Amino acid sequence: MEWQKTADAVVIGGGMMGTCTAYHLAKLGMKNVVLVEKKTVASGATGRCGAAFRAQWGSRLNIEMGKRCIDKFEHMQEETGMDIGLYQNGYLMIGYTEKEVEIFRESVALQNSMGVPSRMIDHDEARAICPGINVDDALGFSYYERDGQADPFLCNIAHQEAAKRLGVKFQKFTEVTGLKVAGGRIKGVVTSRGEIDAPVVVSAAGAWNRHIGDMAGIDFPVVGERHEALITEAVDFDVCPTMLMSFVGDYYIQQRPNGTIIAGCGPNAYTKADHDPEVMGNSWGFLERTAQVLLKVLPRTRNIGITHQWSGMYDLTPDLQPCIGETDEIKGLWLNVSGCRGFMFGAVAGELVAQMIIRGSSDLDISDFHWRRYAQGKKFKDLMVV
Amino acid sequence: MNLIKEHPILEFHHARKVTFSFDGRSLEGYEGEPIASALHANKIRIYRETPKTKRPRGFFCAIGKCSSCFMTVDGVPNVRICVTPLKAGMVVQSQKGNGSVPWSEPEAQKEGDGLA
Repeated sequence: MEWQKTADAVVIGGGMMGTCTAYHLAKLGMKNVVLVEKKTVASGATGRCGAAFRAQWGSRLNIEMGKRCIDKFEHMQEETGMDIGLYQNGYLMIGYTEKEVEIFRESVALQNSMGVPSRMIDHDEARAICPGINVDDALGFSYYERDGQADPFLCNIAHQEAAKRLGVKFQKFTEVTGLKVAGGRIKGVVTSRGEIDAPVVVSAAGAWNRHIGDMAGIDFPVVGERHEALITEAVDFDVCPTMLMSFVGDYYIQQRPNGTIIAGCGPNAYTKADHDPEVMGNSWGFLERTAQVLLKVLPRTRNIGITHQWSGMYDLTPDLQPCIGETDEIKGLWLNVSGCRGFMFGAVAGELVAQMIIRGSSDLDISDFHWRRYAQGKKFKDLMVV
Repeated sequence: MNLIKEHPILEFHHARKVTFSFDGRSLEGYEGEPIASALHANKIRIYRETPKTKRPRGFFCAIGKCSSCFMTVDGVPNVRICVTPLKAGMVVQSQKGNGSVPWSEPEAQKEGDGLA
């Protein structure tokens, strides 16, 4: 790809958040958008994620984002011209403590008030939704059938191709090494392959955003946290026909329509490998723990072979919520970080950020996602988080 | 049974002969040898049908890696029969598609069944 020294905007990061931001900037009429990516699209968290999306959140803004993201996924093929492997199998939230079930109940009430017809269900219905499940030790459930899954690679690549058709340039294997700042304004980026001057720079580098902030002397409140996942060989699509998720149980399990089963959990559920948590890799602890969870929750998985496991970096923020907006310190420098849900929120967050950059305001007020809340001693509260 | 009897390098020492079933047929094989070896000796070459294009698949890598020889054994799908030892009374079935997962734990094989 030919190197160009100027752009109207540079987006850092080729995951779902960055790619969708670039796509929507171009769609809203920006002519000269360049996306810079250290490796390839979907090589960071997007291509390593649990591949699911939901509207079952616990705060107004997240529910609204979730609603909009479902709408985006339902229309993504139309929008981008590519099949994205959409399958809306619903999320079955499984609660193991009174407190967790109470959070589900309050969240469902809030979701219902906002036009998301999720509901609390009982053990019998949970067993009907996912035959073969063992929920004897669970206390309560919430369910919403429009939550679902899609193929993260296809979603990411669909937006890349759509963005290219609108003129966005993708500079891959290009690492940002510095930011050009003058007079309180962003002037461009310095990369391993040269400089690009631009009045707008959007940092959508997931867990690596902090390094971008450091280049401008700004504290982007993002740290990487390694999470692992595994996938099984394909079997008939009746072992886990819905997404199973529990915060207290610390797991998620879902089967793709091709028959493979994806499962994962947080890093504190097992004994971690003793290497740097910021380094990706696999651990026996995760494999053992997840195999035990699978056997307990879905006893039918007993003889299903695990084909591989991998890990990815969650872009952890202090309150596990998105940090989106223009920096107060440097005009034109934007942060677009999802707080561990970039695949899910990417299409919506990318559009809203593009609207704010081009029009100065967005369809949905997401100022509560600005990370200046931390300086003000505030945290964005949503308990429906992993 | 159709097995190699002489080989310039290898020597063959078979264990006892046992019977097992293949798609409802009763066949003989040597205990502890790969199921694939027993099927091959019985001139059975097609082990499964692929999920999408319904093509036949048989013996290929012979080291448990390639997925070509997936069969349903004692109710368990996706068994790599090239590396799974034959036991007396095993129920071996051709696999169509991805393989269905049993709804309950398959009954354990009872020792001594199917002795030849």
